[in-house]
Amino acid sequence: MTTTAATVAETLVTPDAKPTRSPARRRLGRTLIFVAMAIMAVIMLYPFAVMILISFKTNAQYLIGSGTSTQTWQQINSTLPIWQELWNSTVVCSLSILIILVIGVMAGFSFAKLQFRGGNVVFLAIVSAMMVPLQAILIPEFVNIAKTGLTNNYLGAVVVYAALGTPFSIFLFTTYFRRIPDELIEAGIVDGLGYWGVLWRLAMPMALPAIATVTVLQFIQIWDDLLVGLLFLQNPSERTITVGLAALAAGHTTSIPLLMAGSLVSALPAMIVYLVFQRFLVRGLTMGIDR
Amino acid sequence: MAEIVFDQVAKVYPGGNTAVENLSLHVADGEFMVLVGPSGCGKTTALRMIAGLEEVTDGTISIGGQVVNNVLPKDRDIAMVFQNYALYPQMTVGQNMGFALKIRNVPKDEIKQRVNEAAKILRLTEYLERRPKALSGGQRQRVAMGRAIVREPQAFFMDEPLSNLDAQLRVEMRTEISRIQRLLGVATIYVTHDQTEAMTMGDRVAVMRGGVLQQVATPEDLYDHPANSFVAGFIGSPPMNLLSATLVETQGTLRARFGDQSVEVPAKYRDSHRLNENLTRPLLLGVRPEDLVVATSDAPGHFSATVTLREALGSEILAHLTFGGEDVIVTDETETSSPGGHSARVVARLGARAHVAVGERLDLTLNPDNLHFFDAESGETLRLSK
Repeated sequence: MTTTAATVAETLVTPDAKPTRSPARRRLGRTLIFVAMAIMAVIMLYPFAVMILISFKTNAQYLIGSGTSTQTWQQINSTLPIWQELWNSTVVCSLSILIILVIGVMAGFSFAKLQFRGGNVVFLAIVSAMMVPLQAILIPEFVNIAKTGLTNNYLGAVVVYAALGTPFSIFLFTTYFRRIPDELIEAGIVDGLGYWGVLWRLAMPMALPAIATVTVLQFIQIWDDLLVGLLFLQNPSERTITVGLAALAAGHTTSIPLLMAGSLVSALPAMIVYLVFQRFLVRGLTMGIDR
Repeated sequence: MAEIVFDQVAKVYPGGNTAVENLSLHVADGEFMVLVGPSGCGKTTALRMIAGLEEVTDGTISIGGQVVNNVLPKDRDIAMVFQNYALYPQMTVGQNMGFALKIRNVPKDEIKQRVNEAAKILRLTEYLERRPKALSGGQRQRVAMGRAIVREPQAFFMDEPLSNLDAQLRVEMRTEISRIQRLLGVATIYVTHDQTEAMTMGDRVAVMRGGVLQQVATPEDLYDHPANSFVAGFIGSPPMNLLSATLVETQGTLRARFGDQSVEVPAKYRDSHRLNENLTRPLLLGVRPEDLVVATSDAPGHFSATVTLREALGSEILAHLTFGGEDVIVTDETETSSPGGHSARVVARLGARAHVAVGERLDLTLNPDNLHFFDAESGETLRLSK
């Protein structure tokens, strides 16, 4: 009896080889995953669909449950100072994120690449600040900010948002910069850069995914936040869109279609920012996982 | 272009760990100096000190006659090639190479010209627009070299630049780096743990161990006249066989006894080595693998050994042998913490066509012209200086 090489190879390979699934089972598996994801998508998109549909009704149409109209959209700016509030949100968001990024990048680089006494303890203290819930520090923070008189302009909210977002930002940037080999920093130093130069000209361009991650996450958080805006932006002309919508909802005669239209407008910037930075966001959030 | 001088340099880390001790070394202008030694011997620390990436605890380092202990790395006019190349991933090859010049505000045209010239030397012209991640290991290594070259610095420092390459590419790049260094004539300090790299590339080689410089010499001198048993065991592949031996004098003839064997020591060694004062004292007899010669059973001064392993390398055969007496052989000197550690193995380098088989008993003689004697305790050579 002769044994062919193929038979020998088959005998050797088969015990360790993974059992292959039949095409029918594979198709079934894919279908189930597709259905599950479709259900999740419907659940996620349902509120948006409802918002869009309701926003195209008048209040009367909404109450009787039939009919469509663009009247709400035509009246939105006269009823709600939406452009002013969008501008306020943009200013507060931008300033807060700028502070969060600047502090996060510099502190993250220092913790990751510069050796200094007590560095680890300070880093741990900052990271542990992420665990403190906002509600626990809100009142003392309000007292402090009120004493400085910053509740009457953007700065009060900006300072609070920056303080709340900075620990996460520092944590993320530290993790990110730790992945950059020390030799790269040293190469920059030998090439003629100081630490500032290394940070701005070498480390920053490499940290774009982390910058995008912090920007998106903080933007969504700050843009959607109500509590801090409500407390620290006392002047109605400086209200953010979220605070404005909340004020509208709390009014005596709440127009639900108007509220939905306002909410849609409010959600759009966050969605745009997310979509623009989505590619970096995944890289930023998964950093440290790959080797 | 400049000479580099280490004058009694020491590096002690916080906590008292001494990385480099009393290092004095002179690298001439245009010289290719290789620092070699096992891991943790202080060679990289020495290089980092001269590059300005580590502070000097004691002593002075000068480049081109200027003491640079307190000079910032960027002001030392040096270029460094790192082990993992340290290329800037967001820049193209050309930008990587020209970055240091850009920082120094060199005009764009001049940067372009110098980058192009360096790329030509390194055969990188067609890759100038690529990012580092699109290059092979060898190409990245050449870019790292290019980044150093365009600077036209006073000195090059290279920290194990070939260790991430595969064996074949390493051989290729070895000659490439030597070629470029000779072409540019810039003083170079090259750190490696690979003694083959050290021997093939360096004009001179400095062997370090435990933060202490053991010997500085040309590759030939290092191989032929090691200053101590550590250098003898570290340089050469396979390393020198070190035999625990005793010298005895019978009827005016000097013999070295090791285990149950003994060989005659030619009289000339009495003049060139401190042997008379070491009679009857234990010492180390060093024999290079190629100086163990297969002999006939009636050859004078022959002794017998059993082949325990045969390694056919194509151009030669390495025969691992054991003698009678288990505590005879001292090899693997680099592995033992102190000279005098024992193992029962010796290696002979035989011709490619030599007929040896495992288990066979061979008659051998030692090449009388190339014997080495070391103090058993200190490991220092007993050879009198020229």
